[in-house]
Amino acid sequence: MAINWKKEGLLFDPTLIADRPDWMVSFAQAPNVIIFDDFVRVYFCCRPAPDAHLQFISYCAFVDLARDDLFKVKALSKQPVLALGGIGTFDEFGTYPVSVMQDIDGIVAIYGGWSRCESVPFNISLGLARSNDGGVSFKKYGTGPILSHSSDEPFVVTSPKIRKYGETWYLAYTAGRRWILAEDGRPEIIYKLRMATSKDGINWIKQNTDIVESKLGDDEAQACPDIFLANGKYHLFFCFREGLDFRDNRARSYRIGYASSTDLVNWKRDDSHINLDVSETGWDSEMIAYPTVFELDGSVYMIYAGNGNGRTGFGLAKLEGELR
Amino acid sequence: MRWEKLGKIFDPSEHALSEGCTEFAKSPQALVFDDFVRIYFCAQKKTANGKYLSCPQFVDFNKSFNHVLRLSKGPVIELGRLGEFDEHGIFPINILRHEAKVWAYTSGWSRRVTVSIDMSIGLAISEDEGIYFQKYGQGGPVMTANHNEPFLVGDPFVQHLNGLFHMWYIFGSAWKLPDSDGEAERFYKIAHAISVDGVKWVRDGKSIVANRLSSECQALPTVFQTGGRYHMYFCYRSAYDFRQNKKNAYRLGYAYSDDLVHWHRDDAQSGIDLTVGAWDSDMMCYPNIFKCDGVIYLLYNGNEFGRHGFGLAKLVGM
Repeated sequence: MAINWKKEGLLFDPTLIADRPDWMVSFAQAPNVIIFDDFVRVYFCCRPAPDAHLQFISYCAFVDLARDDLFKVKALSKQPVLALGGIGTFDEFGTYPVSVMQDIDGIVAIYGGWSRCESVPFNISLGLARSNDGGVSFKKYGTGPILSHSSDEPFVVTSPKIRKYGETWYLAYTAGRRWILAEDGRPEIIYKLRMATSKDGINWIKQNTDIVESKLGDDEAQACPDIFLANGKYHLFFCFREGLDFRDNRARSYRIGYASSTDLVNWKRDDSHINLDVSETGWDSEMIAYPTVFELDGSVYMIYAGNGNGRTGFGLAKLEGELR
Repeated sequence: MRWEKLGKIFDPSEHALSEGCTEFAKSPQALVFDDFVRIYFCAQKKTANGKYLSCPQFVDFNKSFNHVLRLSKGPVIELGRLGEFDEHGIFPINILRHEAKVWAYTSGWSRRVTVSIDMSIGLAISEDEGIYFQKYGQGGPVMTANHNEPFLVGDPFVQHLNGLFHMWYIFGSAWKLPDSDGEAERFYKIAHAISVDGVKWVRDGKSIVANRLSSECQALPTVFQTGGRYHMYFCYRSAYDFRQNKKNAYRLGYAYSDDLVHWHRDDAQSGIDLTVGAWDSDMMCYPNIFKCDGVIYLLYNGNEFGRHGFGLAKLVGM
């Protein structure tokens, strides 16, 4: 069974908005969706201009797209939905990626908090936040993370995607396996897809295994898992890349992978199912990354980011046929 | 409490340390054998960028503590690999026997950018009587920052009591800048966690020992039971100007508890203080209490955070 995605084009590019705020100079990474009555809110992560040392921080924002025409922007968040943490905290230097979910008592977010380290560029742990104003702003649950490194996951716990099936919360995420050094000495992170469950969204039990096999070998980096339930099966879309030389080398950068499961524990990878690749030219000609899949008014869509890890925004693809 | 000081028993400058370390013998902690006492400590070496790395080692003493039998030769535990929580040092290391093995809970150090470091707590297990410790799992920490305890989770002291593991440890509550050019200074307090298996810990982010100073940092608790009561020693200092200023430097604090939940601070009963003109004239820190052949001993560091070694005191009355 092939899963055919028809590309609908670039949906949102912050760099095309002339009067955008200075904390949203470029990037629209890690999109995720909440559907409202007459608009679709897409959360994403953006960046101000880099500092004097060319280092970036990252903020979460949203854009509201018209429900009947997703290419029409109705509103843009006026400020970051989450504040950065104070000195020494896990989210001092960025809130990226973010995953949002409508829960009974408001919208909940789990996000990657960035700290900067001496020997490696960063560490990441996951924070929890809730919104009581329809997702415009989020209040953090405590000043520290709710999911962090542990005996089997030594660093870089990131790429969260929360789902709730029945009474159980599921968190698909990524955990660092090792740092490897590029030729110029820069450490690059190798991470793998992982899973945790929770009864309350606060206390999580890690499964502590790689949930999807690596197609490119030990140095495959896997990120941004996204679970979509259809026809009694859980469909997992994620992105993966080579361990080194993935930023500018088209052949080694992010592609979309696929796996399926009936129990959310055992996953069968089969990338050949998915028919979605980089374009010949344009905004998604070098990489496709950060997939998020949702159903809207009878159709299934994927929003994903393109070149430069979403430097110039994200686009839309529409499922042709059904996920089985 | 009444303690009799037995003086400094180990000076790192008089011995060949391992792991390329040349200075310091910080945070001594004892493991008692039939015919000797193994005392773990953390020595330091300077790295290329002028910063220090702490490496655990041990020295074996006879039971009169006046004769060194041997020192550790190789690494007691490896420091972490690139990016790991204990890449930049392990200090302190807490040792306990459990089910025929020797367990070590470690404070792993990882350097940061806007603040100097972060700490998390690791577990490692020895199957050769404490000569070498293998890290649990893939080598990541068993306890680290969480929503209530945002950073600097370290200084573990673990005991297995009445079927449960109890850990006394510290967590950071704030990093504060003293002035526009100063380095950020940390605030930390003593807390308590429990565990069934020693790996998964339950904690609530509460400070358990009352403050004596207005800007107090509390560190390295050690707990023992005698006279039907639990006793805790720890060290405390001012958050500011504590390195050079004797007035603000580490002292030993004391608290007691009847239920392991409520602790009553009572430093006046600690029974031990600085000695004028001695190796511990300006500072006392990093206490560790152990029982050996029916006697209760206190190991601790003196001036300059243990640069000149550690000493011993003996409990002689209550």
